[in-house]
This record gives sequence, C-alpha cells and structure tokens, in this order.
Amino acid sequence: MAGALSNLKIVELGELVSAPYCSKLFADLGADVVKIERPGAGDRARTRGPFPGDTPHPEKSGLFLYLNTNKKGVTLDISTRDGFALFEMLVADADILIHNVIPVDMDRVGLSFERLHARNPRLVMTSITPYGLNGPYRDYRAEDMSLWCAGGVCVLNGGGAEHPELPPLKTFGSQSGFQGGVHGAAATMAAAFVQLREGIGQHVDVSVQESITSQLEMTFEFWPYMHTVATRLGQKPIQPVETMECKDGYLYLCCIEEHQWRAFVEVMGKPEWADEEIFKDRLARGANWDVLKVLLQEWVSQQTVLDLYKKVQARRVPFAPVSTMGDLLSSEHLKARGFFVEIAQPLAGKHRYPGAPLKYQRTPWELRMPAATLGQHNNEIFGGRLGIPSARLEELKAKGVI
Amino acid sequence: MAKPPLAGIRICDFTWVWAGPYCTLQLAHLGADVIRIETKTRPCVTRMLPPWPDGKFDSLNKSGYFNQYNQGKRSLSLNFKHPEAKEIAWRLIKQSDVVVNNFAAGVIEKMGFGYEAVKKVKPEIVMISLSGYGDTGPYKDYVAYGPAQVPLSGLSSLTGYKGWPPMHAGFSYADPNAGVHGAFAIMAALYHRQRRGEGQYIDMSQWECAMGLLAEGILEYTMNGREPERNGNRDPWMAPHGIFRCLDLPEKITDLTIDQWVSIICADDAEWARLASAIGKPELANDLRFKTLAARKHNEDELESIITAWTSARRVADTVAELQAAKVAAAACADNKYIYEDSNLNARHYFVERAHPEVGTRRHCGMPWRLSESACEVKAAAPCLGQHTEEVLTGLLGYSKSEFEALKEKGALD
Repeated sequence: MAGALSNLKIVELGELVSAPYCSKLFADLGADVVKIERPGAGDRARTRGPFPGDTPHPEKSGLFLYLNTNKKGVTLDISTRDGFALFEMLVADADILIHNVIPVDMDRVGLSFERLHARNPRLVMTSITPYGLNGPYRDYRAEDMSLWCAGGVCVLNGGGAEHPELPPLKTFGSQSGFQGGVHGAAATMAAAFVQLREGIGQHVDVSVQESITSQLEMTFEFWPYMHTVATRLGQKPIQPVETMECKDGYLYLCCIEEHQWRAFVEVMGKPEWADEEIFKDRLARGANWDVLKVLLQEWVSQQTVLDLYKKVQARRVPFAPVSTMGDLLSSEHLKARGFFVEIAQPLAGKHRYPGAPLKYQRTPWELRMPAATLGQHNNEIFGGRLGIPSARLEELKAKGVI
Repeated sequence: MAKPPLAGIRICDFTWVWAGPYCTLQLAHLGADVIRIETKTRPCVTRMLPPWPDGKFDSLNKSGYFNQYNQGKRSLSLNFKHPEAKEIAWRLIKQSDVVVNNFAAGVIEKMGFGYEAVKKVKPEIVMISLSGYGDTGPYKDYVAYGPAQVPLSGLSSLTGYKGWPPMHAGFSYADPNAGVHGAFAIMAALYHRQRRGEGQYIDMSQWECAMGLLAEGILEYTMNGREPERNGNRDPWMAPHGIFRCLDLPEKITDLTIDQWVSIICADDAEWARLASAIGKPELANDLRFKTLAARKHNEDELESIITAWTSARRVADTVAELQAAKVAAAACADNKYIYEDSNLNARHYFVERAHPEVGTRRHCGMPWRLSESACEVKAAAPCLGQHTEEVLTGLLGYSKSEFEALKEKGALD
C-alpha cells in the first residue's frame, strides 16, 4: 500500500532541523522529496553528529541521517544564475517547496514566492524562519537555543526556587527546529489539501518563535489573567510531581489526583499518610513538600525503578521512569510495538533509529531509503527529471554550481 | 482570500486536558468545525486549573489554560450515564469527518465509540487516538499524565546542568508535540480520503511521537554505546553558547525580584570577533584563549564570566538590540510578560483577543503560521461548558426544539 502522500512532489531547501524535519514527515508518508544542499559542505547538520567513533564525517552524522530518510539528494548553488535557473525548473515541476532560508538570504538570492508562483501557480511554498517573514526581528540572527528562549519556554526550566542563581536551562537537542518543523508540516499539509481540492497554491509563513509561544501550557495566560510573571522560580502548587532517585536510576513521581496519592501510600505500606493533616490533599502536600520530600526520598531510594513503576501503574498511578537511552532501546513495550528501525547507510553503517511517530492503519509510515550522500541523485534529477544534457552538467560541475 | 483549508470538515472531539485539545486547536485554526463533547460530572481538567481572572476558582469557564487551547471550538455537554446521550453522540459522529480522543488505550471502546463501531456507521471516517503508550504492547493500559511523559520520553535524562541529576523541560512538552503531530496526521489521512475515498484509523503513542525529538541522543547510544552527558546550555560545536544574567526587572510586580536573562551564541570565529567588539573587548577576538572554537571550548568558564560581566549591567532588551546590531545571535530568555509585550509578535498580529462572557476580552496566543490565500482566523473565544449544546442539537443534529427540551428535562444533557 502506497503512503498517504505518495502523489506529492516536494523540493526541500533545508539546513539543520526545521525544514528537514518538516519534509521528513511528508517523505516518510510516501512523498517524493528532493533535498537541495550547498555544493561542497552540504547541510550544516552533516557537521553536528553524533558520529560513529566520534570522528566527524559529512556522511556519518546521526542527526543528518535521521532527518533525511526517504529523500533524494542533489547539490546546487542557488546563489549563482545557473543554479537558480535549475532550481526554478525543479520547483516549476513540484507541488511544494519547503525551505528555511533566512529572510536576509532570501532577498540576497532572489528567493520569493511571487517569482516562483508566476511559473507554477499551484505551488505551495513554505518558509520556516526564526521570527517570521515580517516584523522587527525579521533579520535577527538565531540558533536553536535562541528561539527556545525567545519563544518563552526556556525560562520555565532550571534550578527552580532552590537554586535561583542557576540560569534557565535549555532542553536537550534542537527542539526549536523540531517544533518549527512539525508546526510547519501541519500548515503545509493544510495548504496541500487546498491545492488538492481547489487547485490553488499559496505561501505559508511559519515562525519558529510563534511555534514555541503556542505551547506555553498555562504560563502565558498568567499575565493577561492575573498579572503574574511565571518562571522557573515558582513553587509547584501541588505535589508529589517530582523526580526522585531509586536504587538503580531515577523515577518521576506523579500524583495529581487524590486517588493516585492514596494508591501510592498503599503501595508504600504507609496508608496512614493519606490521613495526615499536612498531606491531606494535593495543595497541602505542595505547601509541606519540604517535609514530605524527605520522607518519600527515604523510601523511594530503597526501590528499583522498573519494579516501583510497574507496581504503581497496576494501581493506575502515572509514574514514569526517567528513561536513559539504554532503557529506551531495551524497553519491552517499544520492542513489542516495533518502534526502533534499523537503517543501513553505506558509509555510516547499520544503526537503530527512532521509527514511526504514528501508526496509520491503511497508509503506513515506511522506510524506503536511507539519507542520500551529498549529491547522490544529481544525475537522476538534473539529467533524468529535468533533461539537462550530461555535457552541460559537467560544465556546471566545473563551475561549482552542482 | 479563499475559504479556510478545512472549511466543511467537522471534528467530533472527545479530547481533554492538553494533548488532544492542542491537536483540535490546530484544526479549528485551519477552519474545521470542532465540537468538543464535554460532561459536567467530569469536566476537562484544564477548566479547573489556573490562571483565573480573580485568582480563585469559582467557575468552570474562567481558566486561562482552558481558554487558550479551546479557542474557536464549540462545546456540547452530555451526560453519558443517560442512554440518550449516546444517541446524540452517534448522530454527531455520523455528521463528522474525524473522531479524535486522547484517553488511555481502551477507554473509547468502553464508551462504545471504538473505531470498529464507528467504522460500521461511517466507513470513511478518519479516527485517531493520542494515547500515552499506544494501543498495543505490554504497557498499553498504563496511565500517562503530561508532566511524566517528558522523563519517560528520554528527554529528561539528557537535559540538565553538568554533573547534576536529570531535569524536566519545564512544561508538559510531549503533550503539544503529540497534538501537532496528530493534527498533521489527521490532515494527511483526510488528504488520502479525498483522493481515494477511504478513511482510516491512526494509533498514536505520545511516547513514540516524542522520541524523534531526541534522535541525537538515541544515535549517540546506538552509534557509540554511550549515554550522552548532560551539559547545561552548552553545545559541542559552538562557543559561547549560553544564557547570561541581565539586570533584574526594575518594576515591582510582586515582592519577588524578577530576574532577566539573555541567550548569546556564536556559531563561528567571525561571530565571536563581532561579539568581542560589541562588548568593548575587540582584543579578545585574537586572544589565544578564545581565538578558535577549540580554545573557546577549553576556556569556556572564563569566556562565560567575561560575557556575564558585560550583560549583568544591562537590561535584557537593550542587550539583544545591541548584539543583534552587531549581527550576533542574541535573544531574550522571555518570560510571559516579555512575550506579551514582544514587539515582533505584536507587529505580526500574532495575539488574539475575542470577547468571552465570563472573562471579558483577554489576550491569547494565536496561529504560528500565515497562509497567503486561505483565510484563517480564530472564530471565537473558547466556549463555556455546554455553550453550544442547544445550537448543535437543533441546528446540526436535527432535534426539534421540543425534543431538545425533553432531553434536557430527562437529564441527557449535562
């Protein structure tokens, strides 16, 4: 069965995470994605690793290999006239262009919706940029952590009230890129639906900052509703909702509803705690957390993670292990669901990768090919698809255009 | 402008808390008619959480949390203890294109609205469950709450200050992540249905959906057999890469001092040279301690002290403006007040203010995208509980006014 999006032809002009993750979501559902990289160095993700044996190599970056499955790869310098002409030919033949070229560089190379749309009126063009295509920060420089900060989530994490001297703490990895990518994918999918139903194309302007600001849980509203600044320094109003150390690792304790607390104290063999005045409800436990924390930690430190996790889950209490990578790779649950997939790529070798984020019953997520090596499909795409004669391709290669 | 992308698409929305409502919020933003099925006996948890305009919980309709993630949806309140409530839900399903829920696996089946049952009535339906652990596997019946899914995903063990225990992300990150992936998946399935006429079922595990986000950590392990070390705000390939203290907020809002921080990153030596000049120490660009990435990584503590000495005497907004003028990637570590006032978000008309009968007109976050041809707008403020029950029953589901009154009398409507 072909993937749900197997009729879509996509061109990606993407670096690092946001645009590549966006087009990966389409590619993994069957879309035909051609990824364009700069000749020579290629996508910056190729320099970031992790690398097998810690030896940097452009064809062995784990981040790049994960983000670019199921795509064909070409090299093209669109800042040259010849390069831009080839780019326009590719886009003229595509349904969707997904890019994360920053506005200042879009201006420099002449990448504009109007220009591309004139040749292909059905085109959906998605621009994923740090701060959006207009506004005073349009030309601001940004790396991934910049946007995790500017979007308002980073300030929520860190040492908390006990360690106010510690800075707000970023979440691991390139989370801004992933969020820009998946929010961009939702908007692009909507535009593709319009294209299918009505035959019209359009420009989709996705701001990574706004993608993050859209998921501030309840904290943004504390200002318009209560004139309160919410940061990492606030005391948690309810407890226990906290990480604790067991004999063999960390477990996240989570009693939000009263029945969960009662079940937990029974598992601990301390049912009388449920009747203690100072622990009587979640707010009391929050207020008296300094006392409760010590008591809980003493008991929890005698337990093992998996055993306690399973015991409380049997009573419908939502604790969870603080999973290490090893825990994830050996999880019996993830194994039974077949989550991890093995991908062999000629240079990087065979490794296990995260697999399908969702299971579609009829149009499955599918791994058809590993990430392309730099320029792997130049002949197929430029020669085969666009019909450029091989002598001309050699000429362009000599000029450094491809 | 053309009509919104999902005009004419109706969503039967059994979701609650955050993951599911975040999913259907995206669909509402894109023009779908989202009808949330609610009950007064077990209202959505977020209706009972802060913030509230008067600082206290005295109504199910005043939570800023609920009102943020349910903008533009309709609320239908049913009492499922009553058999006729089920009939009402079935009539809605027959008129819907998509059914969404984020209960634990098996719950929607117990309610009688599992995919097999729904498919019999409406074969072309698209249905998705955004459960914590997915529909299959030995932990399928485990319960998942937002905050616990971050450590479960693996993100916590990778996040933290160097040498410290694992930390959280500071918010229930796996929830909105699942929600937006779910919205994408629903639209991909609608796209397929439009072409082939077939509906389908989608099984989402919030846990699995979050693991792509830590691919770098997982691959470090599968490539090198090693757990990555927690390393605070630093980055192996860039230095400086940190969050630095600025002057505290001068205004007194409460008794608390509100601290302010700035993120500063230099991706290469040229950016470092520009930063060195901007902080009045151009000579540091060629200082052997800092000239190359390797040197800056080696002397990163010292590098960070020098930057802190400069930032700590400045207001955050000025710091960002000065450094951006020098083409350095600086950003405010914005809190909710800063976001509210952020000039870029305001200039882009990102915020939405719609009248609400109980909280008045308050600012909420809007859509993170702009479509050039499809008109997308937040149609209305979040609904009060049951606000659209009569409208949906008599307008959409074909009940007469007297049938509606009779159902109300019998207690089928909550």
